[in-house]
Amino acid sequence: MSGVTDILVIDDDKDLVESMRIILESRQYGVRVAYNGKQGYEKIEAKIPDLIILDVMMATDTDGFDLAYKLKHQHEYQNIPIIMATSFPQKMAEEGSDKFQHILGESWPISHFIEKPIDPEDLLIIMEKILAEHKIEMNQSSV
Amino acid sequence: MQPGYVLVKEQLFFRKELIERLPWLIRLRWAVVVFGFAGCGAIYFFWQWLPLPLMAILSGVLCYNLLFLFVWRRLSPFKSQGAHSDFDSSFIRAQDVLRFNVFAHAQISLDLLALCMAIWYSGGVCSPLALFVIFHIILTGILLQPLSCYLYGVLVLLTLGGLVWFQPGVHSPIFPLWYQHVILPHDGNPVAKDFIGIVRYVTLVVAVLITAFLVTTLKLSLRTKGRELLRLSKAIDASNTKLTALYDMVKEMGMSTESKALMDSATRRAAGIMGVKACSIKLLDEQHKNLRFASTYGLSEEYIKSKESIDIQKSPINRKIIDGAVYAIGHIEERDYFAYPEDIRKEGIASLICLPLRVEKRILGVFCVYSDADASFTESDVRFFALMADLTAMEIEKLNTQLNRIWFLQKAAHQLRSPLHAVVSMLRILQKGYLGEMNVKQEETVLRCEKRLELLDSLVKDLLNLSIRRTALNPDALHRVQLSEVLRVLSGLFGSQAREKTIDIIFHIDENLPAVMATDRLLDDLFTNLISNALKYTPPGGKVTVCLTRAEEGGIRLEVADTGIGIPEQDFSRLFSEFYRAENAKDFTETGTGLGLVIVKEILDQLKGTISVSSSIGEGSTFVCHLP
Repeated sequence: MSGVTDILVIDDDKDLVESMRIILESRQYGVRVAYNGKQGYEKIEAKIPDLIILDVMMATDTDGFDLAYKLKHQHEYQNIPIIMATSFPQKMAEEGSDKFQHILGESWPISHFIEKPIDPEDLLIIMEKILAEHKIEMNQSSV
Repeated sequence: MQPGYVLVKEQLFFRKELIERLPWLIRLRWAVVVFGFAGCGAIYFFWQWLPLPLMAILSGVLCYNLLFLFVWRRLSPFKSQGAHSDFDSSFIRAQDVLRFNVFAHAQISLDLLALCMAIWYSGGVCSPLALFVIFHIILTGILLQPLSCYLYGVLVLLTLGGLVWFQPGVHSPIFPLWYQHVILPHDGNPVAKDFIGIVRYVTLVVAVLITAFLVTTLKLSLRTKGRELLRLSKAIDASNTKLTALYDMVKEMGMSTESKALMDSATRRAAGIMGVKACSIKLLDEQHKNLRFASTYGLSEEYIKSKESIDIQKSPINRKIIDGAVYAIGHIEERDYFAYPEDIRKEGIASLICLPLRVEKRILGVFCVYSDADASFTESDVRFFALMADLTAMEIEKLNTQLNRIWFLQKAAHQLRSPLHAVVSMLRILQKGYLGEMNVKQEETVLRCEKRLELLDSLVKDLLNLSIRRTALNPDALHRVQLSEVLRVLSGLFGSQAREKTIDIIFHIDENLPAVMATDRLLDDLFTNLISNALKYTPPGGKVTVCLTRAEEGGIRLEVADTGIGIPEQDFSRLFSEFYRAENAKDFTETGTGLGLVIVKEILDQLKGTISVSSSIGEGSTFVCHLP
C-alpha cells in the first residue's frame, strides 16, 4: 500500500465533487473523480480504490446502484467499501419506489448511506470508521 | 331517467296482463255471438219460434265488438309484432295507459249491459243466464283494480234487484218477459216442463264449460308467469354473482400498487366467476406491432412461452381487435382466425373471446377469455366481459398515471434538491474553514444562508412526502409493527438533538404494547414530526416528555408534551392546514415548513388514528394520538 489512501468520488454534480475533493484533500486523501457509472468503472479498472463515494442517480435513475452491483459480482472488486450518497432520504432509498425494487431482493452491497447535503465532519468520521473496519477485515482474511 | 317515465313503466308492467287480455276479450265475444246465434237457431229448429229480442241483443254485441276491434287496431302498440309477442313497454306513452283502461272499462260495461238485457228478456232473476254475471265479475277482478271489481259487483246486484222489482207479482213489467210469457204460460204442459229442464241443463253445461275454460286459461297464464319469474330470478342470481365478482375485482384492482398485481387480479377474477377455463391480458408493445402476455390465469407455462410475442399481422383474431372491433369470438374450427390451431387445441381451448383493452380510442392490448366448450359464450357473456375489459383498461391506465406522477414527483424533487445540496455542501466547506478562516460576520452570514437552504430542502422533502401520500396509491402496505421498537431507535437520535439544545427529553415507553397495523416508515415519520416539533418550539432549559402507553379504550396512546411556547387557541383549527404556522411560532424560529402536522394528520388518517391538542401560551403544548 502506497501510504496515500485512494478515494474515488463518482457523482454527476461537479460542484459537489469539488466540495468533496476539498474536504478529502484537507485530510491528505488521494482523490480521483468520475462523473458517471461508466467512467467510474473505467477508473476502478485502472486502479482499485480504497473506498468509493457513489451517487445514486446519475446518467440513469439507478446508475449508482447498477455500478455497485456490478462491482459486487466481480471477485476482484467485491471488497471495495462503498458509501452511497443520495438526495433521497435513506429510508426512501431502502424502502424504495419501483425503480429500486429489483435490488431489494438481494443484500445491500453498500457499506453505508449518507444523506445529501454532505456534512464534511460526518463524512470524514464515517470514512475513517469504514476504512478502519475494512483494514481489520483485510488483515483477518489475509491471516 | 325522469320519475314520471319510471312510473309509466311500472304501470305498464302491471298493465301488461290487461293489455294482453283485451284482444282475448274481443275474440271471446265472437264466440259468444256465434254460440248465441246457434242457440237461437236451435230454439227455432225445435219450436219454430225465434227469440227476436235475444237476437237483437246478440246483434248489438256483434256491432260493438266490431267497433272494439277497430279501436283496438288503432290503439294497439304492437301491430307489427302481434298481440302476444313481448313488447317493449318503452314504446308506450303515459296517455296510452289511460286509453287502455278506458277501453277495458267500456268493454266490460257494455258486456254487462248486454247480459242484463238478455237476463231481462229471458226471465229476470229466474233466468238461467243470471248465472253468467259471475264470469263478468271474475273477469273484472282479473283485469281491473279491486275497487272497479266491487263497483261492477254492486252495479250488477242493483240491476238484478231492479229486475226483481219489475217482475210480475212484484210490479208490472214494462215489457212482457219472454221466459215467463212464452214458456211458463204452458204450465202443466209436460213439453214446457221438459223445456225448462233442458234450458236449465244447457245453461249449467255452458256455465261449467266457461268456468273450466276460465280456470284453465288463468292457470296456464299463472304457470307461464311463474316460469317467467323463475327464469328471471335465475337470471338475477347469475347477474348478482357476476356483479359481486366485478365489484370484488374492481376493489382488488383499486388496491393494487403495481400493474402486474392489478392485471393478475383481473385475469384471476374473470376466470373464477364465469367458470371459464382461462383468461389472459396481452399488452401492445411501443411499436404497436406485437402483443405480449402481461398476465395469464389458467394457461400452461408451455403455451405462454410458445406465444411470448405475438405478431399482430400473423394473428387475425388479435388484429381484428387492434383494428377496432368491439369483440371477436373465435371457434377452433374457424381456420381463418388461428394461425396455429393445434397449439390452442392442445391447450384444451375450444372457443375464446377477445376484447380490446381500450382507454377512449387508444388500445392498450387484448383481454382474452378461453373456454373448453365450443360456442359457450352468449351475447350477455360478451357484454359482461366487455365491461370487465373496460374496467381493467381504466384501472391499468389509472395506475400508470399514478406511477408516472410519483416518478415525476421524485425526479422533480431530486432535480430541485441537487443544486441545493451542492450549495449547502460548499457553504459548509466555507463555514468549517476548509478554505481558510472567515471573520465572525462572514461566518454568521454563511451560517444564515445554510439555514435558509436547509429549510428549503426540508420543504421540498415534506412536499414530496405529502404529494406521494396524496396520490390515491397506497405506497405502504400495512403490517404488524411494534411501536415501542421504532420509538426506542429514534429516542437515541432525539436524545442527542435535545442535549445540543439543552432540553431535557424523557421517554416513557410501556413494555408489552400490542403491535399496530402500520409500517416502520409511517411510524418513523409520525414520531419524528411530533418530537422534532416539540424540540423546535421549546426554549433551552425546557422539557419534552414522550409517553407511549396502552390506551384505556383499547389501542395505543402516544403523548408528546413540551414546556415550549404553546399554541394560541385561535390557531387550533388551522393547525393541520398546509403551510400554516402560528404567529408566535414564526417569531420563535424561522425553520418550519408548515407541513409537519399536515403529514402527521395524513399518517394518522391512513392508520385510522386520531389526534388531539391542548396548549396554553408560554406553558407548553401536548399532542395526544390514539392508534387502534
